[in-house]
Amino acid sequence: MMDTLLLLAMNGLVWGLIIALIALGLSIIFGLLDIINIAHGDFFMVGTVLAWASLEATGNFWIGFIMVPLICLVLGALIQVTVIQPIRGVAALSIVATFGLSLILQEVVRMTFGATPRRILPPISGTVPLFGIEYEVYRLFAAALSLAALVAFFLFLQHTKLGIWMRAVRHDRDTAIAMGVPAQRVYVVTFAVGFALAGFGGVVAAPITTVDFRGGVDLLPVCFIAVIIGGLGNLPGTAAAAILLSLLEGIIQSVANPTVARISSLVLMSAVLLLRPQGLFKGHVR
Amino acid sequence: MTELVETEPVLRTENLTKRFGGLTAVDNLSLNLPRGRLQAIIGPNGAGKTTFFNLVSGLLGSDGGRVFFLGREITGLKPHEISRLGIKRTLQIKSVFNQLTVAENLWVTRQAGNRFLHPFRAASRDLETKARVDQTIEQIGMTALAHRPAGTLSYGDVAMLEIGMALISEPRLLLLDEPTCGMSPAETERAVAKIRELARSIDIVIIEHDMEVVFGMADDITVMAQGTVLATGSPKEIASDERVREAYLGRPEDEDYVEEAVHA
Amino acid sequence: MSGRIIIERCVLLAFAAFMLTVPWSVPALVNTFWVSVIAEILIWSLFAASVNLLFGYVGLLSFGQALFFGFGMYGVGIGIDQLHLSFWPAFGLGIFAAMLMALVSGIFAVRLTWHYFAIITVVFSLIFYFLAVTMKPLTGGDDGINFTLPPTFSFGGTQWSFTNATFQYFFILATVTLCFYLMHLVIRSPLGKAFLAIRDNDVRASLIGLNVYLLRLTAFVMAGFLAGVAGALFAFFGRYASASYMFYHVSGEAVVWAIVGGAGTLFGPIVGTSLFIIIRELVSTHWEHHSLIVGVMAIVVVILAPKGLVGLWRDGLDRLVTRDDSKAAAAKLPADSKLRTDP
Repeated sequence: MMDTLLLLAMNGLVWGLIIALIALGLSIIFGLLDIINIAHGDFFMVGTVLAWASLEATGNFWIGFIMVPLICLVLGALIQVTVIQPIRGVAALSIVATFGLSLILQEVVRMTFGATPRRILPPISGTVPLFGIEYEVYRLFAAALSLAALVAFFLFLQHTKLGIWMRAVRHDRDTAIAMGVPAQRVYVVTFAVGFALAGFGGVVAAPITTVDFRGGVDLLPVCFIAVIIGGLGNLPGTAAAAILLSLLEGIIQSVANPTVARISSLVLMSAVLLLRPQGLFKGHVR
Repeated sequence: MTELVETEPVLRTENLTKRFGGLTAVDNLSLNLPRGRLQAIIGPNGAGKTTFFNLVSGLLGSDGGRVFFLGREITGLKPHEISRLGIKRTLQIKSVFNQLTVAENLWVTRQAGNRFLHPFRAASRDLETKARVDQTIEQIGMTALAHRPAGTLSYGDVAMLEIGMALISEPRLLLLDEPTCGMSPAETERAVAKIRELARSIDIVIIEHDMEVVFGMADDITVMAQGTVLATGSPKEIASDERVREAYLGRPEDEDYVEEAVHA
Repeated sequence: MSGRIIIERCVLLAFAAFMLTVPWSVPALVNTFWVSVIAEILIWSLFAASVNLLFGYVGLLSFGQALFFGFGMYGVGIGIDQLHLSFWPAFGLGIFAAMLMALVSGIFAVRLTWHYFAIITVVFSLIFYFLAVTMKPLTGGDDGINFTLPPTFSFGGTQWSFTNATFQYFFILATVTLCFYLMHLVIRSPLGKAFLAIRDNDVRASLIGLNVYLLRLTAFVMAGFLAGVAGALFAFFGRYASASYMFYHVSGEAVVWAIVGGAGTLFGPIVGTSLFIIIRELVSTHWEHHSLIVGVMAIVVVILAPKGLVGLWRDGLDRLVTRDDSKAAAAKLPADSKLRTDP
């Protein structure tokens, strides 16, 4: 009993770190471009598929960690320029556009990759004893990698020119533009980085989940929950919310079925939206 | 006291306070605006004038103090409730219902006072409202533009429409927030004339930056600075008040109007 | 009366005449299968109309109308299957359940605006989707429940029932037409004008004395009614109710249909829904990846015709037929007024 709880809690923690990455991508797209990105879960799914593809092509899973985010960066930039940019400023239309994008991504994957779910073997196998249970090494690695990526992302925001521009535009768009920040470039970068974050999450998660064209559908609500509970525009809050939520769901799953866990998260999210829409965590708020 | 008492000041506030974080925008403001006078509120940027209007019209909740309209306390009421009592207000940035026509804007303003909005009968059947709308359109001189979407109007016309909307709702108190802001001299003249006309039958309080407009139109002037009242009185009194000159009328072009007012 | 309105009235008349002859003309022109496709289009148009009422006329983008569709659907399904109700009580139960749910969720949802409103509508619909999936004995979960339909009318010896395809079609046509007519009345009414004011400028609306919260809630319940009727009709039509129709994907499709058809227009939902369902039916027999076309079309229309197809049609007609200055001016409204000015 205790073992199951521990196992599920640890899994929750690992997933929480991965979801934190993906949710951050959603948050910057939402925060900077004002877009509810319905296709974000599918960005993750594309990451898992590309990871599988790179494994098939090169026989080496590790290359995926570099190639996939790069591909996603390019794809994201392309999509921003062709689809998002022409309708920027009209939020409702962008919802329809990202919905269309979601359909397109799912169908293209279904056409090329196929409809059968596949599994990837973790590149590191084996378990280690941890807190009294045998825990998969790869999951620990995935957690560490996600954590490193999170740290790298925050460093990027704080210390690089692009990162500073992104923060400026998010904080006060008009002043930033007046001060010479190239808003257009920032939008493209933001969308590309958002895609890349989700894609990277996909690579990391690929060995511990199924690679399937519908893999993004379940993830989307979770990301939104994290963004809302963490607070729109509050990036550390979003990451923290993702981790805590996933941990909580993992713990609940040990006593109830996964659907109940999901319902609880949703109810919590409703409460936050209604009572404290700026999120549960303190920090920079929109 | 829940009834409106006609002998009371039209607007009275007691220690009205509003804070935004560490900033006190309106600071223990106690005002007494009598009926039948065109009031202007002037003051430097950040003096709290628009915040004051927001508090009175219910768009903001106060952090302390009370507001009375014709003797009745309106502190804490919702914007639409305050509007129904007869306080109408325009916003600093002119805003109407852009995708409705001029006539529809007026129409919906007139109907807004009704408790019950009929869900099935055609709006066009309401002849009484239609008559009032037509009358008001004529009053503001926009008959030719009656079926234009409000979003296509020039800035000056939008301001006129706002005044029309204020008119048609038969307000007891009209709060105009910088009505001539952004207008050309010709449009300003037109607006000022209209406002003077309205002031004959309605109590009006105006926030203005344009000194010519203020000194040419107002019966009483209240000067606000840093959230409180600096001085209040007739244009002549205000123009010769040293504190006011110091704090506010530092601009050379305003001096001319001030001089005029003093020697008028 | 402007030339455009005359043309539209003629088109409407021709369309109405056609719709009345469908059970006979369509099998003659194509095949019988398409009669039920058209019936389905009518049902989904009503669903899209519920999205359109909220978004096009009140400015609230709801991504969770599938919740009320589901309540209408299950009201009928559970009513017939487990409560052994006959046709009309089951219909009433479905509609009532949908409206009640709309009222209860609306009380909370309508306090939020824009992104938060859209998100909470999804959240509410997801909560009930998962509940429906969990409560399998009652709802059949994703697999759903099947049931046989009691007759709609029975007097004396005659029975009229949905098993008769022609009766089924006309019942659906009549119900959907009635609902659209009610919408038309509301849009023209003082209530409808108040909705438009709130859509355009909610702060200004409260300043002129409109109770924005109450009006939004009213619209929300009305939209819940429309979605509930659609759900109930769907249950009657398919003799089937399933939790999968409560998933956010279903709501999302309706949003696409409504916006592509033309938000803020009465017939936008019908145009949008017809387009996508017809394409789906035409393509899916030859190619299984028709969703790709749906996705591409959604993006293309939204970029090229932000006012939707009906909006495009009207702008085009106005330019051709009328020389009226005000219409030309209206066509030049700034890009963010993506909606039409007339209902």
